[in-house]
Amino acid sequence: MLQALNLSKAYGNQVALDSLNLSIAAGEIFCLLGANGAGKTTTINLFLNFTAPTSGQALVDGLDVIQHPLESKRRLAYIPETVMLYRNLSGLENLDYFASLGTQQKYTRSQLETFLQRAGLAPDAATKRIGAYSKGMRQKVGIAIAIAKQAKVLLLDEPTSGLDPAASNEFSELLTQLSREGVAVLMATHDLFRAKECGTRVGIMKRGRLVQTMATSEIGHTELEGIYLEHMRN
Amino acid sequence: MIRTIAKKEVVEALRDGRFRWAAGLVGVLLLIALAAGTRQFLDLRAQHEAAKTETRAHWLQQGKKNPHSAAHYGVYAFKPKTALSLLDQGVDPYTGVAAWLEAHKQNDFRYKPAQDANTLARFGNLSGAIILQALIPLVIILLGFSAFAGEREQGTLRQLLSLGVPPTQLAWGKALGVGVSLAMIAVPAALLGSAALVFAGSNGDYGAAWPRFAGMAASYVLYFVTFIALSLAVSAWMKTARGALVLLLGFWVVNALLSPRVAASLSQRAIPAPGAFQFARNIELDLARHSDGHDAGKHTAKLLAGTLQKYQVTKVEDLPVSFVGIRLQDGEAQGNQAYDARYGELWNQYERQGRLQEALGVVAPFLAIRSASMGFAGTDFSQHRHFAAAAEQYRRYFIDVINQDIIQRAGNQGVYLRGQDLWSQIRDFEYELPGAGWVAQQRALSLAVLAGWTLASLGLLLLATRRLRLE
Repeated sequence: MLQALNLSKAYGNQVALDSLNLSIAAGEIFCLLGANGAGKTTTINLFLNFTAPTSGQALVDGLDVIQHPLESKRRLAYIPETVMLYRNLSGLENLDYFASLGTQQKYTRSQLETFLQRAGLAPDAATKRIGAYSKGMRQKVGIAIAIAKQAKVLLLDEPTSGLDPAASNEFSELLTQLSREGVAVLMATHDLFRAKECGTRVGIMKRGRLVQTMATSEIGHTELEGIYLEHMRN
Repeated sequence: MIRTIAKKEVVEALRDGRFRWAAGLVGVLLLIALAAGTRQFLDLRAQHEAAKTETRAHWLQQGKKNPHSAAHYGVYAFKPKTALSLLDQGVDPYTGVAAWLEAHKQNDFRYKPAQDANTLARFGNLSGAIILQALIPLVIILLGFSAFAGEREQGTLRQLLSLGVPPTQLAWGKALGVGVSLAMIAVPAALLGSAALVFAGSNGDYGAAWPRFAGMAASYVLYFVTFIALSLAVSAWMKTARGALVLLLGFWVVNALLSPRVAASLSQRAIPAPGAFQFARNIELDLARHSDGHDAGKHTAKLLAGTLQKYQVTKVEDLPVSFVGIRLQDGEAQGNQAYDARYGELWNQYERQGRLQEALGVVAPFLAIRSASMGFAGTDFSQHRHFAAAAEQYRRYFIDVINQDIIQRAGNQGVYLRGQDLWSQIRDFEYELPGAGWVAQQRALSLAVLAGWTLASLGLLLLATRRLRLE
């Protein structure tokens, strides 16, 4: 569903991503771990075609993101560290706007409310203006947009950083649910615990290189932490 | 997709206090200007109509007198005002709208409100045209400067583009949104304006009014679209909303505040036209040279000799025609020559100055819309000249009728008096403003400049959105 083929990005002499090869299947949750500047966000930006690669290819559902900039984006949903929404519009109106631009179809109010409900937003919050939303609530609207879009791919850039543990846990459960429905998820995160809990695979990045990949079912928490710290130390 | 984007922009604008205040203020100003303009227009038209009937009645009822005295008695000619002039007074306050037509002279125009106004009134002249040409662009800038730059700063632009929304669609949607928000201010005013137009023009014919109305509306649409596209293009181009606002406000100041002054002094420097005093002095000198100068006696003697020879007689008393009449008509012809030359020169200078200002519209579209707007309102200099030429033609016609009467019937002795039968032989002055097609032709340069601005700014918007930056 999501494929990187020898994907590289350099800014001048600075290598941000060094020949990444990665394939994420439908229903998989791949967690990218690594320090700040390791290349996690660059990877996501390359899949979004927000930056052009120096070499290599990024494919979404088999579509090259440069040759099919619009079609590839229609298949994915992007949730950044904080989902940015329009302050003067309510959660429902924001969802309506983004969903109809993303899908080219008009949802009824009750459909939109269902999406928000599935994303875990309290019904009375839906009609409030975004100005009054907490970060957790914004992330839920982001999920609702992804649900409305029927995205096959989710690109998440540290979506849970700064969320309290309960909200963070709720978010992970939503992800697991979506992946069960066949969504491929690429999530950049600092949260080792969360990665082990909800990820199917984790990858550790360092200075633009994917240095190790492992299945979460094969390792324990402490083991993962040990491996991660080992890499960071070198 | 464009409609969805436009709708959201309008909803956001309406929920934004800044827009509500600005729109409300401009809307109210526009209504006040329209109401004041309508009132002034109706007053003026009533005055003109009364004066027109009165001047004709006075002319017919001036009693028995020598026809040349009647020619000195003279008549007034009034330039008809279009209902659109309530929106745009154009040059009328400076050129005047009434001509005093009498023997020997081509008079300067009378009734110039600018002459009576004090300095304060000049600054306080809040016309519909100034609101449309200067204030509405300010509202457009307020609506448009953050369209892209603001979303970039908020982070919503990333979110939008991650959906697979084509940036050009986004641009059209936003442009439409600004247009609709603007219409909320403009449409009530336009409806009221149309009502005023119908009301004010209730005895005129609409056939002549609507093409002008359409021409004016189209010109303003071009002008507003230019500002919408420019605002969005700058917003897409500049990194921050603040930067976009500063750049756009800078352009607004140059366009609406500096350009009229700079253009006026530039055109006067490039094509110097004499001031009112100098012009009057020039005419005086020319006339002196023609008739009552040093060789006046010689000229009259030559004219008499020629006339006597033409009729094969030796004495004035034996002429079958009145020599006084012939001398009058001859003086008229000589005066006309001097006036034609001087006024022709002056008016050509004014027209060329006007054309130069229209061309300067390439730098500031304000100059182009100003000239197109007053053109369709019937208050530009070209139409002043058109009317002045018709009035002068009428003056020559009625002086000619009177002089011919003197030549044929006055004889060369005794007192010659005529009454109403001669006065009523002279038809009343009738004048119709040229049509919208004529205006479009005269103002072709301005219209072309406006269209050029519109196309260029739309092109700029396309270019800026194609290279839309995320950070």
